[in-house]
Amino acid sequence: MECKHYEKLLSPYLENSLSLDERKAVKAHLDICQDCRSLLGFMQETIKSLSDFPEVEVTHDLFNRLRQIPEKKNRFKLRFDFLLRPSLQPVFAAATILLTLFSFYAFNPNRDQINRSVNRQMHLGFSKIEKLYARAESFTDSLGEYKDDIMVSLKNLNPLSGDE
Amino acid sequence: MLVNIHSKRIFNLAYQFSGSYQAAEDLTQEIFLKLYYSLPKFDINKNFNAWLMTLSKNYLIDQYRKKKLENASRDEFNEHLLVSDTYKGPEEGILEKENKKMIWKGFDHLSPDIRMAVILKDIQEKKYDEIAEIMSLPLGTVKSRVSRGRLLLAKTLKEKKEKSNGM
Repeated sequence: MECKHYEKLLSPYLENSLSLDERKAVKAHLDICQDCRSLLGFMQETIKSLSDFPEVEVTHDLFNRLRQIPEKKNRFKLRFDFLLRPSLQPVFAAATILLTLFSFYAFNPNRDQINRSVNRQMHLGFSKIEKLYARAESFTDSLGEYKDDIMVSLKNLNPLSGDE
Repeated sequence: MLVNIHSKRIFNLAYQFSGSYQAAEDLTQEIFLKLYYSLPKFDINKNFNAWLMTLSKNYLIDQYRKKKLENASRDEFNEHLLVSDTYKGPEEGILEKENKKMIWKGFDHLSPDIRMAVILKDIQEKKYDEIAEIMSLPLGTVKSRVSRGRLLLAKTLKEKKEKSNGM
């Protein structure tokens, strides 16, 4: 318990940053505690070894790769910067929705069923359109038939001729 | 220009922190990429070196947590890479290399925040107030982290030496 307390003070003890009283207390403990004295020695060795860790050289290959980073960044900026414009956000949103729908279709295990259902719906749609077209033709035919009768009636009904 | 001046310092920080040469190369590239994107945000009234070190420190600790580097072990202490410049006689040289190997592996036992504080203080030999600025921490917290890191490394060294001496 006592050693735990003094262990924490070993680093500031080596740096001479303890108060006079604390320093005296640590020194007194070290005089009687072999373990803490040994630990202090290992701490001194540790600090010495760390300060002597030589620097690693950057390889030529890494150096070149680092120098190319700004060029790559600028190239990207010139070519693709327009993609980051806020005005393109709705386009990206629409593209995302389309992609989601496409992937839902493309990776759906019941794709054949979906194809059949789509074909049936399209077929029904086409037949409805054909029916409408036929009805429109018959309507124009009947209008043609009535046209002659209407013209005859208008001629007979000469509005300038009489008291009627 | 930036690469010429700062690449060695950043690469060394990444290597000392991650312990892996390959990872350090990747991390250095990522830090420089981040640096180029963050440059417009830099306040010219501030200290650029401290700002760059803060950016690097944040990136390294983030990546350490994201990529679960705590489970990855450090490279073997490479004598070709970390060979000391100064020759101190055969016996002393061997002892020091052994110590360095044990301490290098001992970094595995330090949490990223403590590891970073020890690297900045004892390997890169920065002052406490510089480290406090880089790590955006109060001076007392930095001192406490360095002290805890040194203690853990000293205990690891002691344990390994006692084991190798058969005690």
